[in-house]
Amino acid sequence: MANVIGRSIVIDGEITGDEDLVIQGTVKGKIALKEGLFVENSGVVEADIETQNVVISGAVTGNIRASERVEIKADGRMVGDIKSPRILIADGAVFKGNVDMDR
Amino acid sequence: MADTNTVVGQSILIKGNLEGDEDLTVQGRIEGAIHLSKTLIIEQSGVVKADVSVANAVISGIMVGNLTATDSVEIAETGRMVGDIQAPRVIITEGAAFKGRVDMGDLALPRQAAADRPKPAYKPAPLARPAAAPARPAPLPVRPAPARPAPAPARPAPAPAKPAPKAAEAPLAEALAGASKKKVVIKKKR
Repeated sequence: MANVIGRSIVIDGEITGDEDLVIQGTVKGKIALKEGLFVENSGVVEADIETQNVVISGAVTGNIRASERVEIKADGRMVGDIKSPRILIADGAVFKGNVDMDR
Repeated sequence: MADTNTVVGQSILIKGNLEGDEDLTVQGRIEGAIHLSKTLIIEQSGVVKADVSVANAVISGIMVGNLTATDSVEIAETGRMVGDIQAPRVIITEGAAFKGRVDMGDLALPRQAAADRPKPAYKPAPLARPAAAPARPAPLPVRPAPARPAPAPARPAPAPAKPAPKAAEAPLAEALAGASKKKVVIKKKR
């Protein structure tokens, strides 16, 4: 895996990039990627997110705009609005916010 | 479970504050501030423009900003750095580019260790070849005279108790600073 923000890492600011990003730690601020964002179990994101795909197994607070897909897994927790053509919310996931699937 | 190693990939740009208790490898770009209790590794493609405080730093890429390390800083062959370094151990490899100041601090402990080592290495002509930079301790015996008032202002008078080691440190520190400056100049000429 190329990009991992490890468990003990706290980033306060802005992350931009063209590749997948795996978050096991904490990110506050803003995330803008051209590929996928993976928030793992231990990951905490308090940020507005703009990417292609998002997979949430951890905790996300903020608004998401994904050009392709957002998936909240069973252990994912998400508060905020989601705008994406495809949105998957698994059984067990916690979500509070608006969903907009307009293309 | 701090066995994860954080990697900031080539296309990634982080602007802001980054803190953590694990090693961080930078292949992309970080601007802002970095605080780590472990090692920061800036790879060849990595660019860090930040004030950095870490335990160890290994710079093979580009580092701009002030760097404080509790243990060591190494600027590798491909590394380029502009900024001040504060660390008890600073290693600048041949081929590295560096502009800035180096402060190795009081060096009470490493100093003694170093003092043990160099004794057989006393040579009368250390200045003849500045390229042999690691010959740090050599200037020490040349002027053991404590007639140097200059170094004091940096530290506001905590311990007049032991003036002798301080006076000994002073020329060393100067020699060190001089050595690193010389090094920089040399690199530039190339």
